[in-house]
Amino acid sequence: MSETKKSILLSIGLLFVFIIIGELITGDGARNKQNMTEYEKLMGMGETQAHVPGPIEVFKLAVKELSNPFYDNGPNDKGIGTQLFFSILRVMAGYFLSVIIAIPIGFLIGMSPLFYKALQPYIQILKPISPLAWMPLALFVIKDSIMSSIFVIFICSIWPMLINTAFGVMSVKKDFLNVGKTLEMSNVKMAFTIILPAALPTIFTGLRISMGISWLVIVAAEMLVGGTGIGYYVWNEWNNLDLASVVFSILMIGIVGMFLDSMISFISKYFNYQE
Amino acid sequence: MTDNFLKVKNISKSYPSKDGKSFVTIYENVNFSIEKGEFICLIGHSGCGKSTILNNLAGLDLVSGGSIKMLNEEVKKTSLDRGVIFQNHSILPWLTVLKNVTMAIACRFKDMSKADIESRAIYFLKMVNLEDHIYKKPSELSGGMKQRVGIARAFAIEPSLLLMDEPFGALDALTRGKLQDKLVEICDKTKQTTFMITHDIDEAILLSDKILLMSDGPEARVAEMVIVDIPKPRNRAEIVNHPAYYVVRNYLVDFLVNQSSKISKKLKEGTLSDSDFPIEVDPLKLKYDLENNIINP
Ligand SMILES: Nc1ncnc2c1ncn2[C@@H]1O[C@H](COP(=O)(O)OP(=O)(O)OP(=O)(O)O)[C@@H](O)[C@H]1O
Ligand SMILES: [Mg+2]
Repeated sequence: MSETKKSILLSIGLLFVFIIIGELITGDGARNKQNMTEYEKLMGMGETQAHVPGPIEVFKLAVKELSNPFYDNGPNDKGIGTQLFFSILRVMAGYFLSVIIAIPIGFLIGMSPLFYKALQPYIQILKPISPLAWMPLALFVIKDSIMSSIFVIFICSIWPMLINTAFGVMSVKKDFLNVGKTLEMSNVKMAFTIILPAALPTIFTGLRISMGISWLVIVAAEMLVGGTGIGYYVWNEWNNLDLASVVFSILMIGIVGMFLDSMISFISKYFNYQE
Repeated sequence: MTDNFLKVKNISKSYPSKDGKSFVTIYENVNFSIEKGEFICLIGHSGCGKSTILNNLAGLDLVSGGSIKMLNEEVKKTSLDRGVIFQNHSILPWLTVLKNVTMAIACRFKDMSKADIESRAIYFLKMVNLEDHIYKKPSELSGGMKQRVGIARAFAIEPSLLLMDEPFGALDALTRGKLQDKLVEICDKTKQTTFMITHDIDEAILLSDKILLMSDGPEARVAEMVIVDIPKPRNRAEIVNHPAYYVVRNYLVDFLVNQSSKISKKLKEGTLSDSDFPIEVDPLKLKYDLENNIINP
């Protein structure tokens, strides 16, 4: 049996183990009915008793939600697909905004030691700021919760892109630059035919890190500003004490994150080179 | 005389020392010239400043003093007229073999059509026997194949002067031999003016008309210019039978083993003047003269 086949079998085996353990350590909420007061039973609270859901319960919910993911029953009841769609849209908007700004500036910093030294202190101070710390300021200045969360994505994804682009440009091998110089390339031609392709793998590493961070941050940002999006959805289901939905959306966040990451790594394959 | 193809006059190169207070002179008082169609080799111990001179000739780095003139024009920057084959091939790894060559041709011949550029590239890749590998990426090639791409790229832009920095340094003896044969063949065909750095004495004798010998650094000089008076075209198997071969070879070995360090020591002590460097030597004639007591040792 090949290594891949073995690993797949092992993965499936582990899944079953997780499901069984999950079922054993979680209740179904119904057990609690026995020690409920008359009043609670009267109020019909038995069905909504909060409990950590088992895997099967989550699976049933997933089937139900995913069979109609894009429904829209007003502001507090939208399908998981709709919510994820809003989140992805915001991430994309903020992310591409920072691509447009970070890559040219990163290029500039990488090419010019002067700019590198001049901008270094700003980058060092701005980089460690939690993106959510910008939220109040963004809300006040922009006065729009959606735009503010896009801004937060922008501000969190710009640093890895900026730093990696600058680093990639700075570490282009001198030999490659010399090839361009002996061919009498202009600076612009040099930037596009030598420096950019040489730096692309490093730039893509930055793009990938940024995408990961953006997806982490959007959930938190949406919990904070509310309205729509997967972050809001999780928080809303928590407020409803619907933990099955919470667990289900946690899983969906993971799956979408994985998908976004593999998308970037798939694209980057076309620009990677081996020496 | 001003009508040399390339004229190097009194050049020197120094870098600021680590503390920034003084200068370290890599080489100084270097003079030589190259005529059109000549093949010149530069030999010297590692670290004496050979690559530095080559970079200066290419215009990748400027000299600290003196002048380098090609066709009476000062070398101030790089030029497509001076092609370079680098010490470590420097093929762009993200381009295919063909694209590496077409990119260079497109820089040189700006008005050439795409189809012509491609057929020119293929012509030169055929010349180095790479026609079956033109769509491969450099990572799929062996070291010798990459080096050949570098050779094809340099020849395809038809530089008036070709500068090569130990082009076969990193290769095994067999591959090196094959590429040397290829180079002999190409240079005989194209009469390419070439300046080459090498550590390999046999390679230098096989290829060059003149061999420049450098004394040890720092403050290295191009001390001697050895004439290789063996008719061309040459051939690796037959050249060893020529009476000049071993005489030249022994002379070069003696220079590298004994003289290069002695010269630099004497220069430092001030017991030797570098005013007539490089001294022109024809080892075969020298041997004849010595044996017949025409001159005293
Ligand atoms: N940028 C620099 N700053 C200071 N010193 C330098 C610099 N570049 C080269 N050198 C020094 O110049 C000397 C000559 O270097 P160079 O690369 O020309 O040697 P080389 O003769 O080509 O040696 P090799 O045969 O090993 O390639 C070395 O001692 C090196 O330390
Ligand atoms: Mg060198």
